[in-house]
Amino acid sequence: MTYVRPPIRPLPPRPSRYGVDPKFVTRRMADLPNMTSVLLEDLFPDSPKVLYPGEEGIQAIRRATESAMEHMDLSMIQPGDTVNVLASHHGFTLLGGEPYAEMLRTVYDVVKSRTGAKEVRLRAGVGLRFRETEEYIQRFELKKYFDRALGMAPIDEGIAIETEIGTLYGLKRAYDADWIIHVHNSDVREVHFHRQVDRAVKPFGMSYARIETRSTYHQNLGPRAANFTARAIFESEFVQSKFVGAVFMNMAPGGVVSIEADNDLYRINDTVMYDGLRYYGKVFHLLGMIDECIVGLDFPCPVPYVFSAGVIYCNFVGANVDLFDLSVKLPPYTWYTEALYGKDGRPLVPDVPPVNPAIKMVVHNYAWIGYPSAFFAEHLPTIVVGTKQAEIFEHDPQNLEYMKYALIASNLDEAMAFAYRTTGTDKVIAFDGAVGGINVSVSLAEDLCRLAPKASREVDTILLPKWLKQRGLSALAQEA
Amino acid sequence: MRLVNTIAKIIDDKCTGCKICAQVCPTLAIRMEPLNGHPYKKLAVLDAEYCTGCTACEQRCPFDAIQMEYLDEPYTIGVDVDEVDPDAVHELCAKARFHPEQVVCYCTGTRAEEVAAAILKGAKTPDDISRATGLRTGCTVECLQPAMRLLRAAGIEPSPQKGFYQWYGSTPTIWDIPDEVKAKYASRGFYFDDDIEFLQSIQKKMTEPKQEEEIK
Repeated sequence: MTYVRPPIRPLPPRPSRYGVDPKFVTRRMADLPNMTSVLLEDLFPDSPKVLYPGEEGIQAIRRATESAMEHMDLSMIQPGDTVNVLASHHGFTLLGGEPYAEMLRTVYDVVKSRTGAKEVRLRAGVGLRFRETEEYIQRFELKKYFDRALGMAPIDEGIAIETEIGTLYGLKRAYDADWIIHVHNSDVREVHFHRQVDRAVKPFGMSYARIETRSTYHQNLGPRAANFTARAIFESEFVQSKFVGAVFMNMAPGGVVSIEADNDLYRINDTVMYDGLRYYGKVFHLLGMIDECIVGLDFPCPVPYVFSAGVIYCNFVGANVDLFDLSVKLPPYTWYTEALYGKDGRPLVPDVPPVNPAIKMVVHNYAWIGYPSAFFAEHLPTIVVGTKQAEIFEHDPQNLEYMKYALIASNLDEAMAFAYRTTGTDKVIAFDGAVGGINVSVSLAEDLCRLAPKASREVDTILLPKWLKQRGLSALAQEA
Repeated sequence: MRLVNTIAKIIDDKCTGCKICAQVCPTLAIRMEPLNGHPYKKLAVLDAEYCTGCTACEQRCPFDAIQMEYLDEPYTIGVDVDEVDPDAVHELCAKARFHPEQVVCYCTGTRAEEVAAAILKGAKTPDDISRATGLRTGCTVECLQPAMRLLRAAGIEPSPQKGFYQWYGSTPTIWDIPDEVKAKYASRGFYFDDDIEFLQSIQKKMTEPKQEEEIK
């Protein structure tokens, strides 16, 4: 069987202070000869129907958000009150960002019209790129829409929050209103960090948190207990006294499957954890079956966050183990793992699994700075396309060592010629954010289609029940 | 060791004296100085010796009054661990529950032993540690607590500068979580005791050469 579907057009490069000027991105992985695409629904016929992208367009997001919020109690918000709509940068990286922006606008409209609140503000947190949500606020003109709209960074002024485990710190601006509404998405994304435990709660320990708290998560609690940091903050009397509810864009690899809104965050939490495991689990498992390939990074995000079929690159780096299985102590990549390579480059303890041996070479065609990524270049042969891109990495304080381990090619074709020649494989997977499918070489497309039924069967019968049991979700699954 | 190849440059014409840059700089490289002829107005002034080019000031300036410039002559900062007593370094790391070779800053690759050495050589605050080792000068976000844990292990409890928010204080570790809290959330996928066991196994490796493990 030979695949003749044309590649899916990836998102265009985006102007940003964190990436090379789009004029330098002259050729994409999808433009290469022998590239094709495989649709998710062809790989997994039981893929869920998505409400976006779809025929109705962005209106589907507004309609679903309004409908979901009808059941949300907003009666505690009085006309003279202030409300902070808490958002995160991640949402803007999904499907071009417009669905998340439209959900935020709709939340504003619903809250304003139902409560008459004096001021409904957008407070949008970030990770390690402090200007990132400011760029999105500008791009989606959210300053014009909200009564106020501000980006927040983890180094901004903080506020102490007393929790069940001691003092943690949130961002003062996140909590400087009478009420807060948590507006997020369920994209599985950093499963190496959160391990799909308490997925919906995580931003309380990240986007809305100070450096003390984030450092607690990544340094003080351990690889599987880390996400408790977020729950400790959310459970605090302080946060509970302001919390109205949450609105979530519930994601599957193919797009938005539903909008979830509730005053009970844990109801949403259970739903998105269950959906995340069943919708993303099959793609994760399938990608873990790839025997060899060249990876192309080609998306406007930092290196680990470029994605393919809903799976971010750094999780493909760990796809040689089951990242959803909580009996696995350490993923091949996570910061707790990165910490455990000694000065001689060897693991300090035997529990450190190697990175995915299927990745024979990485062609970094287009990806951003703003996340410590040297680990990837150190552990996987990497070629960066273009001296301009190499230069911004060399001068990024988070990536001072990245180019120490990477080669530079003058263009994508030369990089690929080198990769084909030295790896001996013609299998290519592009992490270019293609919507609805995966851009791959014809040879890899054939492998994926052959392996998908097995991956699907194993997830349904063996893995999903185990994942659910480990998270206390078996009963929910039975009800569903 | 941390390479320094960029530096912040303050554009006086745009600086309003809001002092946010000084409040976030991890190495306290920015101070506010009175402007000549103005009784109240102050401007930000950079002490180039301590600037690591982390971009925290430039990314938080509300007025775009700071830009980053490449240095013609990059240099490195760091503490030579060999200059301090290795037993003292090991003891401090063990007390803070770190393996000495454990990486505690993912941007700069700084290891626990280098932070311990900085403390043994006189660092008393996270800012001192950042100036000496480069810790907290990459993303400036994720590696505060190792500094706090190692300082505490050395018997130092630093207090943050009033009116600044480089850092506020220590936070809990997994060893501080009460049993009743563990029990309360046990069924939801938080593997507290398993992670404690795992983290302790890393510490135990301090006394076992890696070679032995490989032979086994």
